[in-house]
Amino acid sequence: MNLYEFEGKELCATHGIAVPKGIVVRRGENIFAAYTALEVEEVVVKAQVLSGKRGKYNAIRFCSSFEEVATACEEIFQMQVQGQYVAAIRIEEKLAIAEEQYLSISYDNQTRQPILVHSKKGGVDIEDVEACDIRKEILDIRKEDVGVVDIPFAQELWNCFLGEDARQVEINPLVKTIDGTWIAADAKVALDDDAFYRHESWKNFEARTMMGRLPTDREKEVTAIDAGEDYYRGTAGKYIEMDGDIAILFSGGGASIANMDALIKTGLKPANYTEYSGNPPREKVRDLAKIVLSKPGLRGLWIAGGVANFTNIKETFHGIVDALDEIKPAYPIIVRRAGPYEREGMELLRECAVRNHLDLHLFGKEVSMSETAGILARHVN
Amino acid sequence: MGILITPTTNVLVQGITGKEGQKAVVAMRDYGTMVVGGVRPGKGGETIEGVPVFDTVREACEMISDISVTTVFVPPFAAKAAILEAIDVGIPQINVIVERIPIKDTAYCLAAAREKGLRIIGPSSLGHITPGIGRIGVVGGPKSQVDEIFTPGSVGVISRSGGMTNEISWQIRKMGLGQSTAVHVGGDMLMGTTYTDLLRMFENDEQTKGVVIFGEHGGVYEFEIAELCASGGYTKPLAVYIGGKFASAFPEGVNVGHVGAIVERGKGVVEKERALSEAGVMIAEKYEDLVSLISARI
Repeated sequence: MNLYEFEGKELCATHGIAVPKGIVVRRGENIFAAYTALEVEEVVVKAQVLSGKRGKYNAIRFCSSFEEVATACEEIFQMQVQGQYVAAIRIEEKLAIAEEQYLSISYDNQTRQPILVHSKKGGVDIEDVEACDIRKEILDIRKEDVGVVDIPFAQELWNCFLGEDARQVEINPLVKTIDGTWIAADAKVALDDDAFYRHESWKNFEARTMMGRLPTDREKEVTAIDAGEDYYRGTAGKYIEMDGDIAILFSGGGASIANMDALIKTGLKPANYTEYSGNPPREKVRDLAKIVLSKPGLRGLWIAGGVANFTNIKETFHGIVDALDEIKPAYPIIVRRAGPYEREGMELLRECAVRNHLDLHLFGKEVSMSETAGILARHVN
Repeated sequence: MGILITPTTNVLVQGITGKEGQKAVVAMRDYGTMVVGGVRPGKGGETIEGVPVFDTVREACEMISDISVTTVFVPPFAAKAAILEAIDVGIPQINVIVERIPIKDTAYCLAAAREKGLRIIGPSSLGHITPGIGRIGVVGGPKSQVDEIFTPGSVGVISRSGGMTNEISWQIRKMGLGQSTAVHVGGDMLMGTTYTDLLRMFENDEQTKGVVIFGEHGGVYEFEIAELCASGGYTKPLAVYIGGKFASAFPEGVNVGHVGAIVERGKGVVEKERALSEAGVMIAEKYEDLVSLISARI
């Protein structure tokens, strides 16, 4: 999960990294009260988005009065920053900057260890800094001591990275003020979703999506599916709502992206991206299928997966049948699946189709997944 | 001969009393793999499917000689301790089947394994199979299905996706060919064994005449393939499919596919395909094209 700047700064502060004095405002909140509470005249008004180059897109404004702050907030709340939804605004004290540096810790694919990246040329994209101005240190995840002494906040950031189960922590710019103190002017933190069980407090983070908008009701509903102590026993909680009208129920992370590519090639437009994987129980698949099929205006349903290794096709299809029995869609349904208990699973679907007069077409492994995308297109159009 | 197992490989199952562990014992044994022991703290002395259970990995390795492969089927929160136990005892090949291990725990285990020269495959790997020799984990599924899909042959298979390992192996079989070894490397951001680690092994394997890879958008591992081929470290025919073209329509940071497949500018399907074809690698438009491309060259 990616954090907003204000959340990232809170985490940094708990690990001893100095951050500017600031306050968060949301749509409809009293900006005047917030500005006066801050007791600073010169402020920075910053859009809170999950990624994106805010400076370049005018989503960071310097203001010297309440009127300026109010105007900035009004404009920023109407913006999208590189496709990202502005969830809130942080108003914070303007720093008297003497120097800007860059500091981050993330995982390095090559060494498969954390990597600390530092540059004395901060405040710009690290991609735009010349290699000779970038210092990289591979860190040993097994050591609490960062082993770097000459970079401000290196140890504090390492503590934050380890203690918070972060995938990435980035401070850019890391500012030295004219009176010589170091302070994090920005914070970009990504947490590791798989470590949620070690962090009770993560439950309190507000719902978010990277899709440049608030999560839809269906997206919010889906996140409940994999909750609970059996969270790792098959996943069924993946649903991204899209603009099209073809409902998608894919199984397997790999098959799902191959199938999305194949679907788009046929000219059809997906209503969602959805995938269940591992060996989820009937109930999880049922809940997911019901949410997928609840979107209005659907013109087709594509249920597709590869030749499963161990996913029980009967069990997962039982969940889909539960949803179809309830919703009884009139549009074409194309199924392509194989694997353990495929005969029983297909039979369940066949009976369900007869019972509910569904326009359902079943395919096994004799036909490739990509071919059934074409078959779907012919039935829908 | 497989690149990762032989007919006499002795295999340990950590987390043998769990549902998935038990299923794997049966799946491996049905395919002729020697499952010689299992581990579950507190259950030492029992047997599961006729396999002796031990309290610790150390105990298992003291009682049974030549355990060279272990498979880890414990829940994610117990994974780090289980993997470190295997590392501590020095088992050369550790297959981590567990999904959703925190990345910090994965990095910790990978560092410890590397220090001792041990191989981790995964995490989130279903395992691997060498047709006619044996399999680790449940790749291929039940015995009747695995025999329908897998047969000894000349094509090596590497996949980020467990389902696609099977699906592509099926396409190979449908074409009248067989597989030398098929490996599911797992879909996590940090991989214990990467494409290039395996390509180097396939390069030295006489049975393998060509390799097909199912890759994904996001991450950098596919770029390493291009580097390896360009430097002559792998010289046999190679066909690669990279899924996730549609993901480029999403904003940066969106995660579709596996955990490691996050939309990142400059690391998408198009960039990967370009780098690979410049290195002489064949690019498949659809996943099933992998097989027609490779069969034309072997």
